[in-house]
Amino acid sequence: MHNKEKTCWNCPAIDLAGKVDFRACGQSVEEFRKKLDLEDSFQIMAECKRRPELGLYDPMSITFEECPEWQKCPHGYLLKNMRVMILGIDGYLGWTLALWMGSLGLEVSGVDNYNRRDWVKERGAHTIVPISRMSERLRAAQEVLDININFREIDILNEHDRLREFIDEVKPEAIVHYGECPSAPYSMIDADHAMYVQKNNVLGTLGVLFLMRDLAPETSMIKLGTMGEYGTPLTGRPLFEGMFPADAVLKWDNREWSLGGELIPRDPPSFYHISKVQDTYNIVEACKYWWLRSYDVMQGVIYGVHTDQVSADPRLQTRLDIDEWFGTVVNRFVAQAIIGIPLTLHGTGEQIRGFIALEDAMQCMTRLIASPPEPGQYSVVNQMSGFSSLREIAKNVAKIGKEEFNLPVKIQRVENPRVESERHPFEPIYENLHKKFGFKPKVSLEEEICRMFKLLTKPEIKRRIEEKKHHIIPKTWWSGEKRKVETIEIFELEEEIAKSEGKLKNRGQ
Amino acid sequence: MKENLRIADNNFEEEVIKSSIPVLVDFWASWCIPSQMMMPVLNKLSKEYDGKAKIKKLNVDQNPRIRDKHKILGCPTFILFKDGQEIKRAVGAQSEDQLREIIDSVL
Repeated sequence: MHNKEKTCWNCPAIDLAGKVDFRACGQSVEEFRKKLDLEDSFQIMAECKRRPELGLYDPMSITFEECPEWQKCPHGYLLKNMRVMILGIDGYLGWTLALWMGSLGLEVSGVDNYNRRDWVKERGAHTIVPISRMSERLRAAQEVLDININFREIDILNEHDRLREFIDEVKPEAIVHYGECPSAPYSMIDADHAMYVQKNNVLGTLGVLFLMRDLAPETSMIKLGTMGEYGTPLTGRPLFEGMFPADAVLKWDNREWSLGGELIPRDPPSFYHISKVQDTYNIVEACKYWWLRSYDVMQGVIYGVHTDQVSADPRLQTRLDIDEWFGTVVNRFVAQAIIGIPLTLHGTGEQIRGFIALEDAMQCMTRLIASPPEPGQYSVVNQMSGFSSLREIAKNVAKIGKEEFNLPVKIQRVENPRVESERHPFEPIYENLHKKFGFKPKVSLEEEICRMFKLLTKPEIKRRIEEKKHHIIPKTWWSGEKRKVETIEIFELEEEIAKSEGKLKNRGQ
Repeated sequence: MKENLRIADNNFEEEVIKSSIPVLVDFWASWCIPSQMMMPVLNKLSKEYDGKAKIKKLNVDQNPRIRDKHKILGCPTFILFKDGQEIKRAVGAQSEDQLREIIDSVL
């Protein structure tokens, strides 16, 4: 169990307020000593919010393994009935995680203002997997899975006071922050959209940090970031997990400095990606100023439709978008294959990205929540289970579509509406989830693609793809142009295999 | 972190002050990102200097007495002790070579 030796120092149930002075420069230690009338050789003491009978005790003296409040589960020791609040609980990830956590016996609460539904509707698209209204979802979760979710409709940016009330009422022990606009093309539509995305995402997160400071300082924020924050540097510099390791050095002018702990440079490829970088800086500083705790999850491209919970009943399904703004590439490719649109590669299609299946992403989040950071700790995980070029992904989808589902799938290269490197080195480091949190991917790309084909070839879903097929080919250019990208060439799968065999690495863990 | 690098207020005297070989102590904190990143380097140096010098880590939030005694004002702070005395001090993340230079200065 990856977290059995963690202690109360990591646990959100710890009550450190007024008992520990984190100004490790010793500035107000004297005041603290006088307050508690302690001798010179005092030790750090804390109280436990769940076990008040312990009184003042040494928080390093009890491990998760020893504490009766932590129980063994498949993904590590979990705090019994841990109160997890999900911001953005109605979304693709948020709803899936709510059911996943609920099925582990955690107490799930969440907020949403249905922005995702509104944004997609605004663009004239829809989720191709039909989803229920929230009231229906909550009812179905209770009936089918015996999960009670405490939901409140709140806009985290514009209803700060209502969010304050809710956090004060629930007293979450972990906050999963999915409550942002996740779309690069949406942020590039025009000035209004760019400003909206940055305001919504950055100021929303900033407001949550202040509420954590005031109401839940021992709670961790598990924040959804993106691998896209890093960009794809042409030097081929490794994409470390958020920060340089200590043995990375800067050499200049015959002098040398350790870069250990410095945030690695970012090169975000859209105004949405920039908003995630800004979030990172706000969270890093809030952890420093207020001793908050956070994991920043730099997620690779997410894909997939399946967890046991969302598949248990049609009313529990999570959304799946395949339009140019909110669809992610693997999901889009499967939808295109089903209705006969050649799979669209932007430019050369040799862009390389990290990927993770929906079910594996849920496992990762559980492992992170089970092993909270220490006071003041900001850490990063690159959340991916492998990486591949988009061409290789297209080949995989085409192969499975043809061989398993008899679909005549072709691949096309189209003009690239984005400003990005199409051919670049890519060396992501993604060890933390495996080494520190015990993550092992459960789902292969091929397996999840098959599951997607099985679901999306159902007549009612195929019909929904057809209805919105005019929103699949991109029209949103980074330049501001609004025209459909032109096709450069179309080719058969066999041609593509012959051309690109062995060119790019496709590595799984 | 390997257990044999961790020290605390209550064994600092034994492990550092009374040590017969030089000891490099990393005063660190979880709120300090560079501190977090130093661990693999310190583990490596601990093996490299085994028998000649010791590498130890002390969390400043959990061990305020020693922190205050040695007037730690920022993290990470590296202090080299020999025969119970402070010989050298460096503040901020240090490269492997910089730490070797500190340790080698008393060997």
